[in-house]
Amino acid sequence: MKRLILLTTALIAFESSGLMAAVGCDLNDPDRDVKRLFPESTGYKTLYVSIAKKGGEPLLREIEARLGDRFKGLYENIDVPYTMYRIYKGADVIGYIHGVNQKGHYGGIQVFLALDLEGTIKAFYVQKLTSKGAKAFRDEAFGRGFTGLGLKDFFRYDPVSGKETPPGKIGAIRNPAPESADDFAAILRAVKKNLILVDEFLLVNMHLHYFKSAGGPKP
Amino acid sequence: MINIPRIAYKNLLRKKTRSVLTVLGIALAAWVLASLLGFNKGYQISLGKDIDNLGYQVLVTAKGCPYEAATLMLKGGTGLRYMNESITDSISAQPEVDKVTPMLMQAVFDPNKGESGGITAYLGIDPATFPQMKGKLPFKEGAWFKASDAYEAVMGYEAAELEQREVGDMLLIPEKNVEVKIVGVLDRTGSQDDGTIFLPLRTVQKVFGMPNELTGIGIKVKKDADIAAFEERMYRLPDVQVVSMTQVKNTIMTLISTAKVMVLSIALIAILIAVVGVVNTILMSVMERRQEIGILKAMGAKARDIFKLIWIETVILCAAGGVVGCAMALGTAKLTEVLIRRLLPYTPSGGLVTIDYSLALFTLGVVTLIGLLSGVYPAWKAGSVRPLETIRSEVE
Repeated sequence: MKRLILLTTALIAFESSGLMAAVGCDLNDPDRDVKRLFPESTGYKTLYVSIAKKGGEPLLREIEARLGDRFKGLYENIDVPYTMYRIYKGADVIGYIHGVNQKGHYGGIQVFLALDLEGTIKAFYVQKLTSKGAKAFRDEAFGRGFTGLGLKDFFRYDPVSGKETPPGKIGAIRNPAPESADDFAAILRAVKKNLILVDEFLLVNMHLHYFKSAGGPKP
Repeated sequence: MINIPRIAYKNLLRKKTRSVLTVLGIALAAWVLASLLGFNKGYQISLGKDIDNLGYQVLVTAKGCPYEAATLMLKGGTGLRYMNESITDSISAQPEVDKVTPMLMQAVFDPNKGESGGITAYLGIDPATFPQMKGKLPFKEGAWFKASDAYEAVMGYEAAELEQREVGDMLLIPEKNVEVKIVGVLDRTGSQDDGTIFLPLRTVQKVFGMPNELTGIGIKVKKDADIAAFEERMYRLPDVQVVSMTQVKNTIMTLISTAKVMVLSIALIAILIAVVGVVNTILMSVMERRQEIGILKAMGAKARDIFKLIWIETVILCAAGGVVGCAMALGTAKLTEVLIRRLLPYTPSGGLVTIDYSLALFTLGVVTLIGLLSGVYPAWKAGSVRPLETIRSEVE
């Protein structure tokens, strides 16, 4: 009986302490995942940022304008903590990894991007996804379609209509699970949001000029 | 008329640095003592609340069955054991039982959770009894499902945040490919409910093909019932295991008592050091003022007046240290809480360090009492000074 009580105690302890952690979008196993996404890396540094701390409401409005959509729902807001990984090879920074949570049709989608120093996608990784088309969206072939893209391509993509005007590289990405069109759109929105956040937080708005040249915020 | 407390106070001001340092030493001891007592009180209250939030005092499960979602996760979603629903009736018939609530936990492997998949657990509950037993669980939005066979779900705060679910959204049960509608999202409770996905009991039984099967039964015992006797009877039931939440609470308190003893020892050492410091300070002061005391006595001051003077000086030092220490403990309670949370492997939700005015007054009382005791020897020493000897030594 004593064993049972001790086990219960340990389990309650385990569970409660685990549940206290904030739900952000971290790599499940950073050591393993960083090495997989950047095989040449020798180390990484984790940075914690949030819109509330960096620029507050004005920054949120700017990000929403660049995204072309408002932050929605209970869990996409100004206080969300973002975890960004700065990747090193020796003393040199060779890239970044960042993931975002995105509301999908059946659950949260976690989309990670491995980016080079210019903010161009080197690798695309869906860490978590609940969808009838999950297998297709997590397939490497689908992920390869994002390689080489960046905000220079995504700035014309409108996540509300799901269209790129004029049609370009984003419009050319094929939905591998037509029965899960909502989740496909959610993934594209997550990628654009992810790129904008990295541009704002790490790349000192290197790609803001694309947005401005396209006419800036919508009236 | 000579005002002895006033003279004692002025005497302390003559050596300001020494007095301040002594007060600081006592303040640190009082701070440690108040923080420790506040931790003891706060931890017990919070742990009690956490256990009460479970809603039931006794949990009965099939022998060997993991009865918490965390256990299930640790076991990779396997190892569930079942009891037939009929056992609920026999438990309800026991005279000590106030309410019972049947539960069925199920888990599915979701290959799209992380790199190598993960487990998602669902708790099937009876909407007629579970919410009643849990008391008022706060809802962020929505409410409990009404029917026991509805394809609806209520999500704990963390679970909903992770899945980005809101009322009206759909949830897919992987493997089974079954959709359920979210009808409620709980507010953060700090308990295991935050990470739980609740479904109606009959729905879980149907979706997972487990008709009339249960993994757990929560039991609320009547107020005046003899819980120990009831648990003893439950232990005798075949093929079930009984988990008493009271015992769980006691076990956690026992585990934590080791840490408490260590901290209490540190507090006692701090108090002892402070006492030695006070005795040393006052004795030094007495030695330095021997001639002065001798002259006072030659002028008519009695031994008890000198005793009173020195004793009051000690009490002033200790009381001042006690006040500063209590203020420090009140001011740093939150910081202490953060440190304790980092140090201890398990801490309940809610306030961990509860320092109220009664506790602060108690600490002040203890420190002042220590001052009274530690002042006796220096005061007696001062009172027994012989005036002629001290004046003669001055002349020499």
